[in-house]
Amino acid sequence: MTNLEKYINAFVESLEVAAEDVPALKYGESDQWDSVGHMSLIAALEDAFDIMVDMDDIIDLSSFEKGKEILAKYDVEI
Amino acid sequence: MLLLGKNALITGAARGIGAAMVEVFAREGANVWAFARKPDEAFEARCAETAQKYGVWIKPVYCELADTAAIKEAFRQVMADKQPLHVLVNNAGIMGEDRMFQMTSEQEMHRIFDVNFFAMIEVSRLATRLMARNRQGAVVNIASIAGIDGDSRLDYSASKAAVIAATKKMARELISVGIRVNALAPGFTDTDLVSGLSEKVVQEQTEKILMKRKARPEEIANVAAFMASDMASYVTGQVWRADGGILS
Repeated sequence: MTNLEKYINAFVESLEVAAEDVPALKYGESDQWDSVGHMSLIAALEDAFDIMVDMDDIIDLSSFEKGKEILAKYDVEI
Repeated sequence: MLLLGKNALITGAARGIGAAMVEVFAREGANVWAFARKPDEAFEARCAETAQKYGVWIKPVYCELADTAAIKEAFRQVMADKQPLHVLVNNAGIMGEDRMFQMTSEQEMHRIFDVNFFAMIEVSRLATRLMARNRQGAVVNIASIAGIDGDSRLDYSASKAAVIAATKKMARELISVGIRVNALAPGFTDTDLVSGLSEKVVQEQTEKILMKRKARPEEIANVAAFMASDMASYVTGQVWRADGGILS
């Protein structure tokens, strides 16, 4: 599985959304990506890429695209 | 066995109530990540002996809880084990010198809060993210009756009151991912924390207790094991006193 596939899969599994809807997702703009979903998403990303996300980055991770930038800080290239 | 097959993380595991918890949790079938402040051969030997006695694993993890970076590093070790985390016991706590509130410095307040409250929050943040992956878990925060009654040192009492408030807030948020959060408020317990008290103070304290004695650490650990277990599956957001009977 590529990093992009793992990244999309983290959204699909934690937020229970369809893969095709993932790129347009923004925190707080869908029922699935609320604060509880956000916690599950962070856990799924940490699990998928074997990283530990810092608090500031958890707060900043507000969209699919922003998440890519943040993961790059942890040497995860999407 | 109350905790058979569970993996538990216990902070402040080297001494006092924490050491008793390691023993009790292992006795009840739990594997344990035993967080302690600094490397200690006697502690490691005790962990190995207890693990062998009960047929579980107990892994010492060293971490200075006042240092957020050290907490993260400790969790990297936990994550590296690739085992699910089911139970967190935030037990580590410190107590300052006995002073009137007018004599308690801001610096001393910060020192106590760094361990008793802020470290508890950081450990909980990281641990519950691990628990959320499995959408289940139990957190037991060790508070104190001082956090309810306010009859101890200002810094200690206030920090434990903060633990109780945080417990309720955490319980509200985390039940959505299947995590229960409760606080256990021990009374006068026979640990290092109270060993420096004068005979007069000990007498005054025990006089208030219906049982007229201090708690043994394992008596507190037994309650924590129950709260952490599935036997308490309908309990969250609560503060349980284990104080030998102190009635106002």
